[in-house]
Amino acid sequence: MKKILQISLGIVTSVGGFLEIGSVMTAAQAGAAFGYQLLWAILLGTLCLIFLVEMSGRLAAVSKHTIVEAMRERFGFPFFFIVLIGMVLVAFMVLVAELGGIGLSFQILTGIGFPWWAAPVSLLVWLLMWKGTFGLIENGASLLGLVTICFIVAAIKLRPDWSSAASGLVPTMPHMDKAHYGFIAVSILGASISPYLMYFYSSGAIEDKWDESYIPINRLIAGLGMTFGGVLSMAVLVTAALALRPRGIQVDAFDQAALLTTTALPKWGFYLFAMSMLFACFGAALEISLAIAYFFAQGFGWNWSEDLEPSKDARFSLVYTIIILLAAIPLVAGIDPVKVTMVSMALTAATLPLAIVPFLFLMNDPIYMGKHRNGWLSNSVVAIVILISFVLAVISIPLQIIGG
Amino acid sequence: MDSALSWLGTAEMAGEAWLRHTTPDKYTRQTLEHSNEALRPIAHDLLEAPPRGIDTALLAVVLAQSQKHIARMARLVRERNAPALSSQLDSLRADQKVVKQLADDIKPKQ
Amino acid sequence: MNLVRDVLDKKLLDREDCPMGRVDGLVMHVGERSQPRITHIRIGGSTPWMRVHPAFAKLGAKLARLWGPRRTEPVRIPWSHVVTAGRDIKLDVKARNTGALDWEIWIAEHIIERIPGGGQEEEE
Repeated sequence: MKKILQISLGIVTSVGGFLEIGSVMTAAQAGAAFGYQLLWAILLGTLCLIFLVEMSGRLAAVSKHTIVEAMRERFGFPFFFIVLIGMVLVAFMVLVAELGGIGLSFQILTGIGFPWWAAPVSLLVWLLMWKGTFGLIENGASLLGLVTICFIVAAIKLRPDWSSAASGLVPTMPHMDKAHYGFIAVSILGASISPYLMYFYSSGAIEDKWDESYIPINRLIAGLGMTFGGVLSMAVLVTAALALRPRGIQVDAFDQAALLTTTALPKWGFYLFAMSMLFACFGAALEISLAIAYFFAQGFGWNWSEDLEPSKDARFSLVYTIIILLAAIPLVAGIDPVKVTMVSMALTAATLPLAIVPFLFLMNDPIYMGKHRNGWLSNSVVAIVILISFVLAVISIPLQIIGG
Repeated sequence: MDSALSWLGTAEMAGEAWLRHTTPDKYTRQTLEHSNEALRPIAHDLLEAPPRGIDTALLAVVLAQSQKHIARMARLVRERNAPALSSQLDSLRADQKVVKQLADDIKPKQ
Repeated sequence: MNLVRDVLDKKLLDREDCPMGRVDGLVMHVGERSQPRITHIRIGGSTPWMRVHPAFAKLGAKLARLWGPRRTEPVRIPWSHVVTAGRDIKLDVKARNTGALDWEIWIAEHIIERIPGGGQEEEE
């Protein structure tokens, strides 16, 4: 029963980790600008993520190490430190974007600007981490995040031409705006394949005391959970293609995205969008804060657990406290969270090789994985991900300048 | 031109949604004001360096008109005057049509 | 025993399985006519930073003098206290008594416990 209930770990990881301000804004931009043509990017991102998340869980269950712990031990402190800098910097920017997403959701609901929400929102996120347990965060966020199903309902209600939509699952080049198309594709992949998700997932598996008997359920969680997230993203794209594209609306701002569900769901669509963004960004903010604190604590060998009282893992608690405090500052200063989102996704893409190359080595190391090492399929997918991420890194930044 | 159409479309959709009681007053008003703020530099850039072959005089008139309509719409949301807003929305749609036609006229034929 | 694979950077646990950091460095004795042998494990201080670049070690030492328990020297645990070396390295010591938790205790007492809901660090 416990194992079945733990499918929620996958769902919260997908709702909080997959569907968040980055994936919603990019999927909405994609649908508004190119119709169904970029569905393949979401599909590819989802597939990659299924493999990566499954591997994260398998590593934890078999080796009893999180990714960070194994990386420090296998590659040494200097390499760990380089990865720490890269991952934490990017994750921090994404955290700013997520806290901003919560603030923007409150802004469209109340009319009060998001800078005013930065402090109370950050306090709320911190409070939940300070007083909450891993189970509360895991289950609470997953239950609240179910409101995002409204995107699927909206997409269906708009009656898409399913065969046209299906053709978007195959990559094609548009006739015009190739740079913009490429940039959005890169952004979608960068938004989908977030390293902090892997770190959070493997830490969660250790918090939940997984062992080898969890390997089959891990596959189920990774497959179901990430698929759920991918379907949600696709629903956002389809909704944008049908509701915004005919009106020529490009989604450059959050208040434009807020119109997404108003056609399909006239009575509640606006409020459902706001609540969806609120809960999805909230879940993501919690995950990222935890992932950053886990990175420090696991890498340096401190005591860590979301289930402990803060004084029992003082350094771990101090890290997430400082991180959340620092993340509020740019928002209070009025920096546009949507712009931060775009920059952070390009940077995520640029730093993916740094996260994935060591991970690939670990997943093939018999000392850590024993007989549960990667097979050819997992290695191939990860190798392709590394290749795509390298291409993303090279293309994304100039595209950001041309198309963004 | 696409950016201009995007913000005109945003203002139109926000106005429509408000008339259907789909969106709250504050959000609608702020989105309309935001649309106008976004349109200002776009209109300025378009008129400074107009796309080749475009009727610049007509574009200038239509963009100025549409910004006025959007500003009025924002005021009418505050006053909760649905019938007057509906009429402004019709005028905005007419402006949108003109801008769309101007944009289509200069698009490369495929 | 492969020192790099089996010892260096491994997590350290005390006799009560309390985490006390990682093996940041090793001190070895190299005699004229004897095999090199490990004498101490080093934890914290400038040890890990020296492995990145001496400049980091200098900066870390400067910062450590400004606040916190003002400990700049790494903790040295004699190798004789190693009980097992497997997934983690288990030591026959109590973490609190070694100085390895000085920073943890200082942060708990001076920062965390002063925030409502932070709890109390237990003294044994």
